[in-house]
Parts: sequence; structure tokens; C-alpha cells
Amino acid sequence: MDVFGSFALLLSFVCAVYAFVGGIAAIRTRHPLLVKSTRQAGLATCGLIFLATFSLEYLFFSDNFSVAYVVAHSNHSLSPFYKVAALWSGQEGSLLFWSFLLAVYVFSALIAYRNKNGELMPYVGVVLAGVQIFFLTLNNFVASPFKALGVPGVNGAMNLVARGDGNGLNPLLQYPEMVIHPPNLYSGYTGFTIPFAFALGALLARYPGEKWIHLTRKWTMIAWGFQTAGILLGAHWAYAVLGWGGYWAWDPVENASLLPWLTGTAFLHSVMMQEKRGMMKVWNVWLVFSTFLLCILGTFLTRSGVVSSVHAFASSNIGSWFVGFIVVILLVCLAAYFKNRDYLKSENQLDSIVSRESSFLFNNLILLVSCVAVLSGTLFPVFSEWFTGDRISVGTPFFNKVNIPIGLLLLFLTGVGPLLAWRKTSLDSLKRNFGWPLLMGLVAGATAFPLGVRGFYSLICLILCIFVASTITMEFYRGAKVIRARSGASFLASAVDLTMRNTRRYGGYIVHMGMVLIFIGIAGTAFNRDVQKEMQIGSTMQIGPYSLLLQNIDNKQEKNYTAERMVIEVTRDNKPVMMLYPERRIFPANQASGTMVAIYSTLKQDLYVVYAGQSPDTQAPVIHVYLNPLVKCIWFGGVIVVLGTLVALLPNRRAVLVLSAVQEPTRVKSLAGTLTPSPTLREGHD
Amino acid sequence: MIKARKCFLMMLLCAAGSLPLLIAPLPAQQPSDRAHQIGGKFMCMCGCNQVLSQCNHVGCTVSTAMLKEVDQGLARGDSEDTITQAFVQEFGTKVYAEPPHSGFSLVAWSMPAVYLALGLVLVLLVINRWRKRPVHAVSSAAAADNSGISAEMLERARMRAARETQD
Repeated sequence: MDVFGSFALLLSFVCAVYAFVGGIAAIRTRHPLLVKSTRQAGLATCGLIFLATFSLEYLFFSDNFSVAYVVAHSNHSLSPFYKVAALWSGQEGSLLFWSFLLAVYVFSALIAYRNKNGELMPYVGVVLAGVQIFFLTLNNFVASPFKALGVPGVNGAMNLVARGDGNGLNPLLQYPEMVIHPPNLYSGYTGFTIPFAFALGALLARYPGEKWIHLTRKWTMIAWGFQTAGILLGAHWAYAVLGWGGYWAWDPVENASLLPWLTGTAFLHSVMMQEKRGMMKVWNVWLVFSTFLLCILGTFLTRSGVVSSVHAFASSNIGSWFVGFIVVILLVCLAAYFKNRDYLKSENQLDSIVSRESSFLFNNLILLVSCVAVLSGTLFPVFSEWFTGDRISVGTPFFNKVNIPIGLLLLFLTGVGPLLAWRKTSLDSLKRNFGWPLLMGLVAGATAFPLGVRGFYSLICLILCIFVASTITMEFYRGAKVIRARSGASFLASAVDLTMRNTRRYGGYIVHMGMVLIFIGIAGTAFNRDVQKEMQIGSTMQIGPYSLLLQNIDNKQEKNYTAERMVIEVTRDNKPVMMLYPERRIFPANQASGTMVAIYSTLKQDLYVVYAGQSPDTQAPVIHVYLNPLVKCIWFGGVIVVLGTLVALLPNRRAVLVLSAVQEPTRVKSLAGTLTPSPTLREGHD
Repeated sequence: MIKARKCFLMMLLCAAGSLPLLIAPLPAQQPSDRAHQIGGKFMCMCGCNQVLSQCNHVGCTVSTAMLKEVDQGLARGDSEDTITQAFVQEFGTKVYAEPPHSGFSLVAWSMPAVYLALGLVLVLLVINRWRKRPVHAVSSAAAADNSGISAEMLERARMRAARETQD
């Protein structure tokens, strides 16, 4: 099966090269057969990558320990669930997985547009094939996952061998979220290839900027949704597995995932300027180019060992390939832009500084500043070493100090932007839209201050969160009220109807509401507390309102690991709350250990208990307990963000569907009134 | 003389007997709050990439020793700067959890503000420029703005794109 997989990969490389070269020839000659055959080659490339990926999975499931990658990342007792995840647990497999997800997108795009956009698609196909060639080069010639296990023989030749069992999967990856976090994150990274290909293809085809925007909006949102989910799942994994009480450490790998997310978010906002007003076409093209380049740059950062990271494949020598690819892509983008930039002329005109357009400009500015600040902070150790010879670390405190004010500015714009009108917003409108929300925010701040929320940033964050949540709620309320008055439906049904009439706008509001919750959760970090104590059976420790009693220590024997487990009873006001079982796992296959945190989570706070190990002095178990307020808001907010993205992806329900229920001829006149869209509900007012 | 020798031997025996007490680890002392606070400015040098005061590895000899060093410095009356200098001497500049506010590191601190200021100036300039554009001039200006293609060519390209693509 390894030979089959290897051959499928090699054949997919050949097909991708044909799709690329043949695609260029097809664009030049416009020969229909050539166009068709290169498209088929694109589809065949994807099919062969699917086969190669399934081959590798088969090797994992059949415990084929003659393949080096399987030996390094699996063993007999690894559960089938984690054998799926073993695919992306090492460099070679994760690069193949990248190609696999890219192939899913490419296949979907080629099928979705098989009878559409006949002139544009060859350009898009060439760009997609170009990207696929790069990854397939890595898969085939640099980091093949199908390498057979061998030992050097007497004459220097490699003798193939097979091991009885493998080394097993990294314990940190043996956690359910690790089965869904990387696919989500990688789907985000690879998903941005589609808008990139359409943007570059449209530029090469000399299309004025409108069309590719319409074509790629959903693809961009899908990629963004996956990226968001991937980042949050990674944060949750770090929180639940790494056992340091936090969820975001500004590690270079985490930063690498955030960079394209920030530019992608900026793009999703600025694209509306182009759609509604024909503005910022050049900017949007470069935002998409940058987002794709940042996806590749992030991969370079985490695989080259340029920056140290606890997650990185630091020993890899693959970095130079990524640098080369980034340079090539950048040169192609620059060449395409300078050659055809006249076709991106924008109709930039602004009536007032207090307008939706301005708010989008500021929103893009803040997101881009945040992106560049994170990038320069991540790379600063490298720069400092180049310029001074000393490597200066840039850790969490720096990123927090820089990004918290930026984040708050962004939060403010989240509340303000959507309620400003296109072109110009009057003073009356400002008062009407922002009077109450501002008052509610200030009242919340005035209430929180005496209750102990004294930190400047925490207080500002709370005020802004209430402000933004109020503006969003009022938007839903106003719209639903109008529909309710006309249809007589319940308020909730009216709100749903409102959302379905303009899914993009109200889906966006739902996403914003999710972001507000995430900010509330992050603000809670300022009030984190922790206690660490050596404990004996029967001893107790106190944190906040909770008392923890170590009842027992037992051992657990599972198929793939053994665990030492603490049995801890949690009480509050002498009333039992629940039992918690933090444990430390030992994986015999690779002699590695891992932590399994126990969390009692409420909406208000998380009681986070870690069995940190035995004291080297007394051999007593050391229990580290954290009380982390409002963490649940982050995860809940994440779910809402993803739901909002899904809503925004739905097609709009036309207002006429509502009207069709009314059939009495005598009410024609009133119907005519309802057919005229109100300013609040007019279509396309995103 | 014999008595003196016996005393000496007894003292030697006591010293030998107490030696293991000196070698054996003393009960772990918790670092002070101040040490924890100062520890927030350094990285743990065990390679965990965590801030010193947040290193959660039980038995991490590096973070324990570093926090102890901070406590000892505080007990001697050393200032925070002196403790920092001692760590930099010992571990190099990679011990900083955040770049210091001096020398080349000022670049790291100033860059976000510079990005923001530059971006703000740029955005305001753009807004100002767009506001000055009269509405009627926009469409023609967009096309004929000293570019290589004419308005008609751009319109033709737009129509071609509309014709050749479907959402």
C-alpha cells in the first residue's frame, strides 16, 4: 500500500504539472479540448491525492510498521480514533494532509464552476495547479510520508526492515480536540487559496475587480469560519491539555494562525466597500494576496525553526522551500498587479468622514496594525539577533501590552461601524443609534467599578462589550419590531425572519455578538487566581469559594497508557459540588507523560485543577488549582461566531415569500405597502 | 591531649553526621509574591517557553532556582534592575519575557505605535482625498485617471467579465 500511495502521489504531481503547463497553453490558444483536458487533469490531481491520503491512513489502520512515518507516529494499541489524527501528527503527514484539504477545495471549485465562467476558470485552474505543484513537490521529493523504514547495511545500502511496534502518538495529541483542531485550522489555511486563485486569475484575465469578489465571497467566509473554529479549538486544547491555566500564550505557532485570520477579517469587511460602492479594489486584491502569503509564511515560521516554539517542527530543513515559494508568489502577484492594475480602478468617493466607508477604513487599519504588530513581535527575536547579535525574547507580556489596546479599538468599531450609514450619517441618526447603548455601557461600567472591576482595560472592555451588545440587540429589536407589526408573528419568529431576509448582515451581527462574548471572556483573565499545594490524602486546599479535599489517589490502566489519578471532592459552603479527577498519563510506547486537567466549569468561572506531579522533595502529589472567571464565554462566543458565519453563508429569503401567505384580494393595497422595502430592511444594506 | 583529640573527633563526627542534612534538599520554600511579580518579566530557561512565574512544571529545577535567586536578590536589598542585570549576565538577553525599554529593543515597542500613526495618517489622507472628489467626476476619473486604458476599454472589460462569469 505504501508503493501504491507513493505512486499515486507521484502521478498527482505529473497531473498537476500538466494542469499548470497545459492550462497556460489553453489560455494562450483557447483550444477547447486543451481547456477541457487541463480541467480534467486538475480533477485527476485531486483524486490521486485523495488516494494517497487514504493509503497512508490504511497503513496506520493496518499497523504497517515497515513505513517510517507510521512507526514514528503510531503503535498497535493506539485507538482507531487517534490513528486518524496520526496522519497530521508529523511533518510529512501534515504536508500530505495540507495537499488533501487543498485538493478538496480545488475539486469543489472545479466541479462547482464546471459549466460556468469558461474564460476565467483556466486562469484560476493554473493558479490552483501552481499551488498544488509546490505542495506535491514537498510530498514527493522533500518530505515523503511513504518512506520505508530502513537500516544502513554493511555495504552502505539501506536494508528495509519492519518493526514489531511503533513509537506511538505524541501524548499531547491524544486528546479528542486534536482530531478536529488541525483539520479546521488547515481547512482555513488551505481555503484561502481559492479566493487567492480567483483574485490572481481575475487580475491576469484583466477583469475589473467586481466579479471575483462575488465569486469568492462564500469561499472566503468558509475559510474564515474554519480558521476561526481552528484557532478557538486550538486555544481550548491548550487550555484543557497543557495544564498551565491559560488558552493563549502568543506562541509563534498560535501567532502564525492569527495573522491570516486578521487579514482575512479585514478582507471580509473591506470587500463590502467594493460591492456597495466600487471602492478599494486594489486594496482588496492585495488583502487576499497577503492573506494567502501569510498562510504560507506562518507555515514557514513553524517549520523552519527560525523562531522557537513548543509546537514547531524545529529540526526541519524545509523552511527554504517555503521562502522560495513565498518569493515566487510575491513576484507573480507584483507582476500581475503592475501589468493589469488599470483594470482595478476604483470609484473612490466619500461624502462624509462619519460614514460606513470610513468605519471600514479604520477597521481595516486596526486589523492590519494588529497583524503587523504580531508579526513583527514574533520575528523580533530574529531581527534582534541579526542587528545586535543577541536574541531578545518576546513573550506574552509584550503581546498583551501591544494588542489589548488595539483589540479594544476594534471592539469599539465593532459597535460603531455597522450602525453608520453608507455615504453619510446624520447627527440625529448617531444620537438615535448610539444614545442608549452608550448609556448602558456607562451604567455597566459605573456598576462594575464599585464591585471591584478596577483595572483600566477590564473596565473599558466591559463598557465596550455592553455598548456593542446593546447596539446589536437594538438592531435586531428595531428590525423585528417592524416585521412583527406587519406580520403579527411572535417577536422571536420576526427576528428569525429578519435574519433570513438579509443573512449576510444579520449573520455578521451574530458573529459580532460572538466576538463580544470572546472579549468578555478575555477580560476575565485579569481576575485569574491560582494556588499550588503539596497534598496528602485527606488534606484540603481552598480557592475562592471552593474547598478541595484529596480523597484518594488511584491508578488507571488503559490500552495505550497508565494514569495516576487524583480523586478530589469539591465543596462549596460545605455542600458537595462535584468530584474531579485530574491525572497524569504515562505512555509506555514512547515513555512520554501527559497531563489531563479536570475542570468544573460554570458560566461565571472555571475551577481548573491540575495534578502537576510529585514533589521532588516529599514525593507528595502537587495540585495546582486555578480559578479562571468567564472562560466559558470564550468557548460559547466561539460557537456563536461559527453559527453567525453559517447564517451569513445562507442565501437570503426573499421578502416576497412572507407576502405570499397573504392572499385576500382586498388587501392588495396594504400588500403594495409592504412590498416597498423600508430603510431598515432594504436588501443589501450590509 | 587525649581529651582534646576526643573533642576534635566528636566535632568531626558531628560535622560528618550533619553533612547529609546540608546536601539533602531543604523543604521547598515558596517564592514570595514580589519574586513572582518580578518573575513575570523573565522567561523560564528550562526551554518550556513559559514566563518564569507561570512555569508549571513540578520539579522544574530551573524555574525554582531562578525564583529563589530573585528572592535572594530581594533579601539582599537588590533593586529590580540589579536582579535583571544579573539574569541577563547569566542567561543572555533571551531571558527577557518582553524586550527591555532601551537600546535596540525600543524598536519592538515603538513599531506598533509607528504602524498605527502611519496607518492613521494614511487613512485620513485617503478620506480627505476621497471627500474632495466630486461625485460626477468619479466614474470618468476612475477610468481616465492618467492610466494606460481608456474609459471605453474599462467598460468593455467590465462587460466582458459580466458576460463571462456567473455567480
